[in-house]
Amino acid sequence: MNKRFSAITIAALLGLVILPLASACKKKAPTTAPEARPPVTAAKPAETNVPPPPKPAPTTDVEAVDITVMDIETLNKKGYLNDAFFDFDQADLREDARSVLAADAQWLKKHGSVQVLIEGHCDERGTAAYNLALGDRRANAAKEYLVSLGIDASRLKTISYGKERPFCTESNETCWQKNRRAHLVITAK
Amino acid sequence: MPRSLVAAAAAFALARLAFAQQPAPTPAPASGDDIQIVIKGGPERRLAVAVPALFAPGNAALQAKVVDPFTATLRSDLEYAGAFSVTDPAHYPTGYRDLTTPDAADRWLGTGAEVLVDTRGEVSGDRVAVEARVWDLKSRKLILGRKYSGGASYVDRIAHTLANDLVKYFTGKPGFFLSTILYVNEQNGVKEIAAMDFDGRNPRSLTSHKSIAISPSAGGGRVAYTSYVRLFPQIWTMGLDGGEKREVATGVELNASPSLSADGSQIAFAGSARGNTDIYTIPAGGGTAHRLTTSRALEASPAWSPTGREILYTSDLTGTPQLYVMDAEGAGSRRVTFAGNWNDEGAWSPDGSKIAFACRNEGDFNICVMDIASGQTIQITSDGSNGHPSWSPDGQKVVYSSRRNGSTQIYVSDANGQNRRQLTQGGNHLQPFWVP
Repeated sequence: MNKRFSAITIAALLGLVILPLASACKKKAPTTAPEARPPVTAAKPAETNVPPPPKPAPTTDVEAVDITVMDIETLNKKGYLNDAFFDFDQADLREDARSVLAADAQWLKKHGSVQVLIEGHCDERGTAAYNLALGDRRANAAKEYLVSLGIDASRLKTISYGKERPFCTESNETCWQKNRRAHLVITAK
Repeated sequence: MPRSLVAAAAAFALARLAFAQQPAPTPAPASGDDIQIVIKGGPERRLAVAVPALFAPGNAALQAKVVDPFTATLRSDLEYAGAFSVTDPAHYPTGYRDLTTPDAADRWLGTGAEVLVDTRGEVSGDRVAVEARVWDLKSRKLILGRKYSGGASYVDRIAHTLANDLVKYFTGKPGFFLSTILYVNEQNGVKEIAAMDFDGRNPRSLTSHKSIAISPSAGGGRVAYTSYVRLFPQIWTMGLDGGEKREVATGVELNASPSLSADGSQIAFAGSARGNTDIYTIPAGGGTAHRLTTSRALEASPAWSPTGREILYTSDLTGTPQLYVMDAEGAGSRRVTFAGNWNDEGAWSPDGSKIAFACRNEGDFNICVMDIASGQTIQITSDGSNGHPSWSPDGQKVVYSSRRNGSTQIYVSDANGQNRRQLTQGGNHLQPFWVP
């Protein structure tokens, strides 16, 4: 226990030291020299429109819940983790998908012991084999984004169901969109 | 190709050209002009055969249990083979099964037949012995004599065996009447591997994983498939009877569309690592998986060539799924489909000269057949949503799945799309594979 504690402390301290250095290094990347900066235009508008500060990624007001008393099934039914949805034949994350996953990341940070299985699903169009690969892409896209937001990769597993386990079976866009998703399932707490 | 077919194809191509030159509200499709839709074929040369009922004098029970099933199966098989045309039993003479006199031969010739298939059976206990004599009617020569014996409870298999021998004798090609078609049976979200006779009879389950078991293929007497029974998809192999099931650990993810080589020694499959799907091979008995494709594009649906020297597969490298061929080590990759915006689920004909595949331009998937050497392609379906073609062992027929009216069933047709038959009904039946 002590060993781990000190190792974490060291890592944290290192992080505190390295991160600013890393971003400083990034700023020093040889792409902009003072001479190359575009000149400030003092020209036509009487006043300069100052845009508002960029909004932080919207997150739900995340409260830690006591998950120790819930079983996994109940935990999943509570719907703490929401799914990311995709466009047809795409595994790129849309803006709404990023928002959802960002909220999921917040929740996962508050409940640091939770393990998740990310299922990749597709709509019924396209061949079964192609959709298995596409579902795999979707699950991994969601996983990589969560990792980029600071979730440890070892907490996230991926699986593709392609079009083999749909959430609905109607042949219309409403149902098809429901099936084009990365579905998050808590597997351990 | 019969001349009438070429003429029809030429007329079709000319008609399309003419239409494209008129002003049209929407532009004509850029590709797909070289796919000819074939619904009607040319004239077929079928050998006319007379097939009188199995001669096995006995009580009515015997007729029902042995004679009728044997006769019906034999007639149905020969008609199905495409090489034969069974003349109308209503015109058959009674008796005259011994062709020692010209008079007897004339009576059979009068039914329009060129060949007489005379069968006689003897039942003792639960065994049946069948003797078959095949006569050329013009020369009154006995051209084939065979004897068979088997259980009375499976007399249809005796008929199948005789039909196979007749096909082999008259066409030089093996008959497929004892062959098996593997497929996926879906019920209430559960998918299991199943098998049926070539004509859809005797469906039986080969797995009971109570999970998702899909995409069966066969080679060297074994079956390979993917199952989610262990949560994550894995490749499994089993015997053609479903026995001796073994997991094949690959060390990669996805493990989809396992294709067994003809000799049963290698499995090609779609595997993934970090979200990138590629074609891998692994020894069927287990071992190290070798990655064959290396692009960041999606590669899937591999199919071993009959010689085991090449692999047909799908890649979306150029932006849409198309078919490619590479050698067994992953080298020499070349694209083989250029028309349409989705070509997938490729299958080699047994002689390696053609491929059947799911093809789509606009609208739904159809089945296409391409002659590899010339690139000439025909579309052999035109309604429903079709896919997963597989060839009969003699290369004359293609079995495939088709979704119509909300359910998916398995169909078989000649390789030119004619003589389509539905093999399954009720529920959902998909991903057929005709065992070579």
